[in-house]
Amino acid sequence: MTEQRRDILDMLAAGKITAEEAEQLIAALERDHAPATASHDVRPKGKVRYLRVMVDATDNGEPSRVNVRVPLQLLRAGVRLAALVPPQALVKANASLSDSGVPIDLTQLKPEQLEALVEHLDDMTVEVDSPDATVRVFCE
Amino acid sequence: MPQLVTVKVNRPDRRPIRVWVPVLPVVLVLFPVVVLVVLAAIVACVVFRIGVVRALGAAWRVISALRGARFDIEQGRLAVFVAIR
Repeated sequence: MTEQRRDILDMLAAGKITAEEAEQLIAALERDHAPATASHDVRPKGKVRYLRVMVDATDNGEPSRVNVRVPLQLLRAGVRLAALVPPQALVKANASLSDSGVPIDLTQLKPEQLEALVEHLDDMTVEVDSPDATVRVFCE
Repeated sequence: MPQLVTVKVNRPDRRPIRVWVPVLPVVLVLFPVVVLVVLAAIVACVVFRIGVVRALGAAWRVISALRGARFDIEQGRLAVFVAIR
């Protein structure tokens, strides 16, 4: 707990401020501290260049391993390319996806949303551990 | 733009295959085919009412961004490795 937050809680305990005022002060404190906290992130933003997918599995007693490294720039370029897909093709793709039991409306996916998704991939790490396989997806 | 594509295939009980493909010389050799592909892409863009310049730009971005991609897949004693540099 920061000293300023403790001061606010002390003032609330002493009855100098109301609970609502204390809440507003803490919210303002968090707003001020948000950019500073982000800059202390373990991985510096902008340094992440690749999406890695690593799979270690055992198929019928034989070990199998997949190690894929894809540049994030390729994902961004793919998003721009996907934005050029004509609407009639998206409607057909929607119908096929729906028939396959995946009811996703691709027309609702906007390029900006996909770009934002790719932009924030560097914060993502997915690890799946099962007795037969280990999967790791992360950015580096 | 990618400069070199490396392909390595390790097969059980056979000699491993290792191929280094220099992209630029191969593109130059296949230039007539590349021109045909680009023309076909332009026709497709016109037919489907897609901006030709935007589409070609996006395709070029994808090709340029391939540099650094690496695929390494092993199953038992079979292994395939593809790296684009």
